Amino acid sequence: MKKALLVALAMTAGSAVAAPFVWPAAWTAEQNTANKRGGEFRDYTISDFKTFNPFTSAEATSVPDTMAEGTGLFIQDPRNDDLIPYMAAGEPTVSNGGKRFVVKIRQGMKFSDGQPITADDWITTWKIHTDDKVGSNSYDSFFLNKKPITIKKIDDYTLQFDFPQASSQAYVRMAFTPWPDHIFGKAYRAGGAEAIKKMWTLGTPANQIVSPGMWVLSSYRAGERTVFERNKYWGEWNKDSRGNALPYLDQYSYRITSDLNAALAAFLAGQIDAFGPRNADDLAQIKRAIDSGKLKATLLPNVSPQASSQWIVFNWNKASDPAKQKLFRDVRFRRAMSHIANREAMIQLALGGLGSENYFSVYPIFKQQIAAGASAPKYPYNLAEASKLLAQLGYTKKNAQGYLVDKNGKVLEFNLSTNAGNTVREQLGRIFADEAKKVGVKVNFTPIDFNNLVNQLTAKGEDRPFDAILLGLSGGSNIWPFGSNVVPCGGNLHSYNNNSKGTCLTPQESLMTKLYYQGDAEIDPAKRRAIGAQLMKAEGELQPVIYLVGGNYHVAFNERVGGEYPRNLMNAYYGSRMNALTFIK
Amino acid sequence: MIPFLLRRLVQAIPTLLLSSVLIFFVIQLAPGDFLTTARLNPNISPEQVANLERNFGLDRPVWQQYLLWMQNMLRGDFGLSFQYQQPVLEVVWPRVLNSLWLVLLNLFFFYLIAIPVGVYGAVRQNSLGDKAINVVLYFLLGFPSFFLALITIYLILQVRNATGLDIPVGGMTSNNYEQLSTLGRIWDVLKHLLIPALVLAISDAAGLTRVIRGQMLEVMRSDYIRTARAKGVGERSVIWKHTFRNGILPIVAGIGGLLPGLISGAGFIEVVFAYPGITPMLLTAINTQDLYLIAGFTVITTVLLIVGNAISDLLLAVVDPRVKVA
Repeated sequence: MKKALLVALAMTAGSAVAAPFVWPAAWTAEQNTANKRGGEFRDYTISDFKTFNPFTSAEATSVPDTMAEGTGLFIQDPRNDDLIPYMAAGEPTVSNGGKRFVVKIRQGMKFSDGQPITADDWITTWKIHTDDKVGSNSYDSFFLNKKPITIKKIDDYTLQFDFPQASSQAYVRMAFTPWPDHIFGKAYRAGGAEAIKKMWTLGTPANQIVSPGMWVLSSYRAGERTVFERNKYWGEWNKDSRGNALPYLDQYSYRITSDLNAALAAFLAGQIDAFGPRNADDLAQIKRAIDSGKLKATLLPNVSPQASSQWIVFNWNKASDPAKQKLFRDVRFRRAMSHIANREAMIQLALGGLGSENYFSVYPIFKQQIAAGASAPKYPYNLAEASKLLAQLGYTKKNAQGYLVDKNGKVLEFNLSTNAGNTVREQLGRIFADEAKKVGVKVNFTPIDFNNLVNQLTAKGEDRPFDAILLGLSGGSNIWPFGSNVVPCGGNLHSYNNNSKGTCLTPQESLMTKLYYQGDAEIDPAKRRAIGAQLMKAEGELQPVIYLVGGNYHVAFNERVGGEYPRNLMNAYYGSRMNALTFIK
Repeated sequence: MIPFLLRRLVQAIPTLLLSSVLIFFVIQLAPGDFLTTARLNPNISPEQVANLERNFGLDRPVWQQYLLWMQNMLRGDFGLSFQYQQPVLEVVWPRVLNSLWLVLLNLFFFYLIAIPVGVYGAVRQNSLGDKAINVVLYFLLGFPSFFLALITIYLILQVRNATGLDIPVGGMTSNNYEQLSTLGRIWDVLKHLLIPALVLAISDAAGLTRVIRGQMLEVMRSDYIRTARAKGVGERSVIWKHTFRNGILPIVAGIGGLLPGLISGAGFIEVVFAYPGITPMLLTAINTQDLYLIAGFTVITTVLLIVGNAISDLLLAVVDPRVKVA
């Protein structure tokens, strides 16, 4: 009798709460077999939090982002980059040529205040993000080529997404975090965008903050420390591979350190649990502390390349100096410049030996795309080749100072600037200028103010105010790893050619624009990578931007924490661990 | 006294107006704006940047932005901080409070150290003690306070490593602050304030001590002191009542300057000790070109400077009967 009752009870419970999401055991190298629970993971951030409001937040590490951990209709599997159903109950039903997705939402999920998470929460969140008066940072992710993505509620647990065109990023765009309709929806309907902006400021008491994710705000102390605690309702639908509720940790905290040096000091003193070493110096300090027994920690250098790139771009819009414009537009000149870039020396001298060579806009960390485009042309360091190409341009004679001159005796020279204060970029520029001098190219390298530099780079028109700029970019996903405002003509970071009409100047540029949109609309990953490979080929041939080098990603964490990724899953894109599977030993 | 205050009020208007113009336009002289970094973000489209510019009012000419800012300020609205998307006063206030505690404690130590040491130096002029103090003060005068702070932190760390004593090196509260009782919290904060406040007081006291010493020496040589002594007035009374009171006049005149100092924080000491005061926040605001936050705060300190000067003059009248405010 007792047993029958138990079975009946289990069955009713089973029907009320849908099956939980089971976190694969393969996502962690060190499983929590001892059933250790509780404890606090102590993280750091270098700038103070600015708001708790998910709609106005714009910081790299933010309170809303931390609370959003463990949400989204789909999540990316670090093993193969696939997007798998998460808050969605299963794969969506796709129709209308890959433009309509009907998604069933997992039942039984709750916000940290115990309210169920339903379709209304997604609808409200979408509406607020797309109100341009709110100024949300996620605004752009709800538009495709300026056309809106629309979301409809079919019933409480079914959503219908309509895309204006097929999109490789569809699953990512659908995977936004739902914020509570019973809080934000109410405010929005009553007071519109202005009411939303006033919500959840730093003055809001932590107990009024509601989270859909793994963590909920517990306490905030300006400029010092912010603590999150486990959302107990989250564990109801998130289990480890043995059926235990997640996360194992009770708390997750951020110490606000004034800069990375202070963060390193805190890590060395054992006050925080993880640190991202930047360079050889950081690595050496950590290693010394470990070797001397002062610090019990794991140090993994050179885990992967960083998801960023450093490059030099030449300005094609210099109406005031037709000779230079002609030169910069000549593909042979740009190839010669790529041959001049001594990437090995840059890694050794500027990055302390801890870096990777870059040849394409795709970061080397996105291995699958890089492998697909392996046959795309590269122009590696080779001064003889550079001289040959420059000779083809008519630069065969050198003057008394050793610089190449054209037939009128004009020296081959250009100005190169980067942002002052970035020591790595300053060194990269010097190395480039030194190598250029060896073949007789005069590079006037000057670091200038960052804001000035950005204004020059993003200037539009037929006569833009720079010769060449050395800068870096980061950001972007591994699904379609090309930048929407970098590759297509007319994009504001299409920095080599940004004329007033936003038109392409060369066939390769047009081809790249076409391939960009084609790949962006391709849902099949293999086909998409093949398009990406063609794009890389066009990019390699055109050399509109000379990609140089990128730093490497290093991992360091305190021995007291466990549950990190297996070594082969760690990289700059996915990080070193999933917080849900992290535990204190 | 009331006509004096009224006159000061009228004088303050053009001063404030001119300073607000200067503050606003000097900030604008810096290249770029709050959204410059957004322009370099591959994930933010130019349309969205333009949209944010419109929302923030950055698309308008500078003089229009100024007039709008001025208009709002007359209504007591200092504008929204771009980073926080919150009214400037709400952002600034908690930080000012934090700084206030540090500065008050620092002032307490400052006077506690400077006055007795200065008086001692004057009374025992050229004694061994006076000479020793002079040497130390010479050193301290040349030391920037942040450097002294760094040395202090280094020493604390050595002591911590050697003895295992839990001496706080930074921040304002301990990690377990939330679990402490009210009394425990006060003690916890005090523990964190003590060292930065002392470091700052010691390095600042060097200047004041020398001023007090010089002033005291000058007054002590005057006729009325000699007369007082000749009349048989007690030594204690001569020093504290007759000499000291006249010696500190220039210091009283400078007290008004403390008022803006109270809210503008303890400067680089806050940065070095990772203290959540106003300075680290303002530095970030300057870095990110959070226009209204910088401008709003600067205007508030200007107002306090004007008020502080008026108070100084009033105080001077109280201490020095020769000065009248009318």
